[in-house]
Amino acid sequence: MIGAEDVAVRPVVPVVDDVDTGGFFEAAARGELAVRHCGGCGTDLHLPRECCPHCGELSRTWRTVEPRATLYSWTVVEHQVHPAHPTPYTVVLVELDDAPTVRLLGHLPGRPPLTVGQPMVVEFEDVEGVRLPQWRPEEESDRA
Amino acid sequence: MPEDTSRWTPGATSIVGVGATDFSRSSGRSPLTLAVQATRAALADAGVDPRDVDGIVRCDMDLVSGPALADSLGARDLTYWGEAGPGGSGPAAMVAQAAAAVSAGLASTVVVFRALNGRSGNRYGLVGERGAVGGDGSYDEFFLPFGMQTAGQFFAVVARRYAHEHGMSVDKLSEGLASIALAGRAHANNNPAAQFHDRTMTREDYFASRMLSDPLRLFDYCLETDGACAVVVTSTERARDLAGGAVPIVSAAQGTGPGVQPGLMFPALLRPSTPSWPSAATAPTLFGRAGVSAADIDVAQVYDCFTITTLIQLEDYGFVPRGQAAHLGEADLTLGGRLPINTSGGHLSEAYIHGMNHVVEGVRQMRGTSTNQVTGAELCLVTSAPPPGASALILGVDR
Ligand SMILES: [Zn+2]
Repeated sequence: MIGAEDVAVRPVVPVVDDVDTGGFFEAAARGELAVRHCGGCGTDLHLPRECCPHCGELSRTWRTVEPRATLYSWTVVEHQVHPAHPTPYTVVLVELDDAPTVRLLGHLPGRPPLTVGQPMVVEFEDVEGVRLPQWRPEEESDRA
Repeated sequence: MPEDTSRWTPGATSIVGVGATDFSRSSGRSPLTLAVQATRAALADAGVDPRDVDGIVRCDMDLVSGPALADSLGARDLTYWGEAGPGGSGPAAMVAQAAAAVSAGLASTVVVFRALNGRSGNRYGLVGERGAVGGDGSYDEFFLPFGMQTAGQFFAVVARRYAHEHGMSVDKLSEGLASIALAGRAHANNNPAAQFHDRTMTREDYFASRMLSDPLRLFDYCLETDGACAVVVTSTERARDLAGGAVPIVSAAQGTGPGVQPGLMFPALLRPSTPSWPSAATAPTLFGRAGVSAADIDVAQVYDCFTITTLIQLEDYGFVPRGQAAHLGEADLTLGGRLPINTSGGHLSEAYIHGMNHVVEGVRQMRGTSTNQVTGAELCLVTSAPPPGASALILGVDR
């Protein structure tokens, strides 16, 4: 177990400049949600990589999608493993409304009430200069 | 599905010896020492001189290399070494690779081993302070920063989705998960080598155990173990003349199925269906090569890093229809039940040797020497875990 007293509590930030996945974090930095999209056959490719398993094309094209999703599943983490993520917290797995084959994760503090299939929206979080698309339940005001 | 054009010969090779170290929380020994001890035990069981070992297959996550183990055994010449994985999806595939090496004439006496200090050494599921995470094909950048950092958290998300897709409450699912935990524990209570040999468990104990990653509790999780297991593979013809005798490898298979995703474990959350594993693709290959079906299996050692892992595999291998594994009781899964599983206690209650202790116990069942012997058992399934891929064996009785 990593004790909080043993290490400086630093957030867990992603590599944002990987040749295959960097486009996702570049878009997030602009406040957009983007998915890897094959120019050859129109398939969304998540996890992002250059080679399309459907048509064989190598490309690095991305498309911007609506930052809306539906809840696929989740877990409430009660046992802490990293000091940057105090428990309890909830990890949500969502399916994008605009790209239903694409699932993304999000972090929510605590134990919010959730139901599979409920609408979720993006809320960008800035962590040490990196912008992460997080997901929270849609509220009344989001539909305005 | 295209015709399987591979030419597997059922029972051409056999496991002739098995060995294990003690299972503990702190071995005080290096993984190399553990590997040597388990391997020497397996070779003694087989009746093979360690100098005659000419092949070794390791798990890709092992700290011990094939040549290093051969050197420590005093082997004269290693003519074949290989590895399979990732991790727990390896052991059955490692045995398959040994069988392939023997059948192809690359080696005659192949050791398959797994050694780890899983408790006192490198424990799994700890995200260290290592700067930015992900990249280079790991795809960790889509998981770790969002708090998805351990296998337990991963399997918890899968478990909740399983309950949703089958229209059951998570509490109902937990009843089924409890049955798997209880079956393993009951078997461990009869196995003096098991880490939980002296610790009984009731259904109430299961539900009272601490929630770690909802809906998974402490007793849905496997043990963390220091120890090693090894087996010796040779031709069935030769095994018959050795002290250990032949436990024929009736079938062996690996599988991914389509759309398996790159990366290691977490990317399995992005597959079209999460409550089903590559084991569903492995099953028809495995049974097809043996010419048997799930109904012919007498006893099964089903990889159980978590209870949900086992539950889903019981459906993937066709023992029960989709959505029905959660309705099994522990009586179905223990001695005298419809399918006794994990008769050593498995990962949940014997030890976590990353799938290798399941192979050893499978051999014991076919020899008739298990501490939870299934009377008259002639076919034993041994599975090695999804999610990155799956592998499995069917072991038999030489006649
Ligand atoms: Zn394409």
